[in-house]
Amino acid sequence: MELLKAAYKNEIMKILNRKKPVILMALSVVFVLGAMSGVYLLNSFSGIRVTGSSEFSIMVLSILIYSLFPLFTIFICVDMFAGEFADQTIKITLTSPASRLKVFLSKILAAATLILGNLYFVMIISAISSAIINRNFPNLLRIFASYTMAFMPIFVFALVIALISIISKGTTSAFMISIFIFLLLNGLSLVFPNIRSFLFTSNFDWYRLVLGSYINFSKILRVLLILLGYSIMLTAGGCYLFERKDI
Amino acid sequence: MQRVLAFAPLNSLEGGLKLDTAIVIENLSKKYKNNRGIGDINLKVGRGEIFGLLGPNGSGKTTAMKIMVGLMKADAGDVIISGFSVLTAYEQAMKNVGCMIEKIVPFPYLTAYENMRLRSRFYNSLDDKQIDKTLDITGLLKYRNEKIKNYSLGMKQRLGIAMAFLSNPNILILDEPFNGLDVEGMFQMRKLITNLSKDKDTTFFISSHLIHDIELICDKVGILYDGRLLAVKDTKDILRDYSSLENYYLSEVDVNGAS
Repeated sequence: MELLKAAYKNEIMKILNRKKPVILMALSVVFVLGAMSGVYLLNSFSGIRVTGSSEFSIMVLSILIYSLFPLFTIFICVDMFAGEFADQTIKITLTSPASRLKVFLSKILAAATLILGNLYFVMIISAISSAIINRNFPNLLRIFASYTMAFMPIFVFALVIALISIISKGTTSAFMISIFIFLLLNGLSLVFPNIRSFLFTSNFDWYRLVLGSYINFSKILRVLLILLGYSIMLTAGGCYLFERKDI
Repeated sequence: MQRVLAFAPLNSLEGGLKLDTAIVIENLSKKYKNNRGIGDINLKVGRGEIFGLLGPNGSGKTTAMKIMVGLMKADAGDVIISGFSVLTAYEQAMKNVGCMIEKIVPFPYLTAYENMRLRSRFYNSLDDKQIDKTLDITGLLKYRNEKIKNYSLGMKQRLGIAMAFLSNPNILILDEPFNGLDVEGMFQMRKLITNLSKDKDTTFFISSHLIHDIELICDKVGILYDGRLLAVKDTKDILRDYSSLENYYLSEVDVNGAS
């Protein structure tokens, strides 16, 4: 456990010292502030009510979950795996006393922490923005539930990127393949609606299940189990490939 | 499943048991797609010994060392360090091992101190004092807070050495440790290795193509040629029978290398 903790701290330290994730987090802030200004102007001067008190945070989530959040995930996971394999910096980690299983898990846990951290960071900014626009506090519980639920499909996507990054030969190919797969899976769910429920990408908006007046718990459970199934399979697959990878 | 070395003789010392054999390599084989690699290597390195693995470029030195520290998986065979198999009990085997394989690539966006922290976190007993001490020994203390992207090749090599030595390991596996070092650095490195072996009973497994350095510091020398271990002999025996290690090496390669 001590070794896993040490490896996890190392991964967090490395990511926080990179520029790309910080830039993407800053871009999220810029987006939220830009959207807030736009919505405020429309609400105040054109007479069009674009969003209600809780809706602004959800509107931000619905846009970022298909744009900046996946991009943020791709950047950190590609850097963490393909990037370190490509420039051989991974040797420092792999020659530590921690086993490969622990190194892999530490990377996945660090990615999960940063994804969730980024989601909550945007949630807080958007909730404050929402309060400023509407001059009253939004339904924080629903917003919190939505952003927390949004984590699950993004985390599954992070595991897919980790798998691609372990197999791929370099950072550029890992980056391009990850984007291609994201677009392909989203495209497939549009062309073949009958396979939609089995694709994790079509569950990117499953947080909407808690937004209506009626909450369908059995559906939430079903999607949660599908996403957990994906997570377990991808973690096992990633672990196996990471263990066998020759440096 | 942990595999503990059963055949190494055990000596009772103060504070516990200690194995006489630090490293055992058993039937180690690894073939690449181009049919190169290493085949059926068997070797034992005693505790406190400085073992030198000599061989030309492409002879399989780095492959053998990568397998020893778990960077690569062998097709067959095993490596047992301090009584533990690298395959089945990696964490125990690597607990007291420091290593530097090929050229060291520290994280360029981190400082020397931060790179050292990446390693020290795995050892509860290591604090900032130990990091500074190791950086001082390798002459990098004044560049402690400088980003690695501004380091020269020699400085990176020194940092790699510092990272390997940081935890005061019992066993050090160093692949071409003299590469990129200036004359002064090479001298200091040789002194550090011999002192640690003498004073702290540290075992060294060093690979190099710099025959002179191997001759100066190693107690025992193994010759790896075309993926095969041709011979293992004590340096003092070699120097008794041959005028230099170079002559011995050339003679072994000439006699056994082609077979």
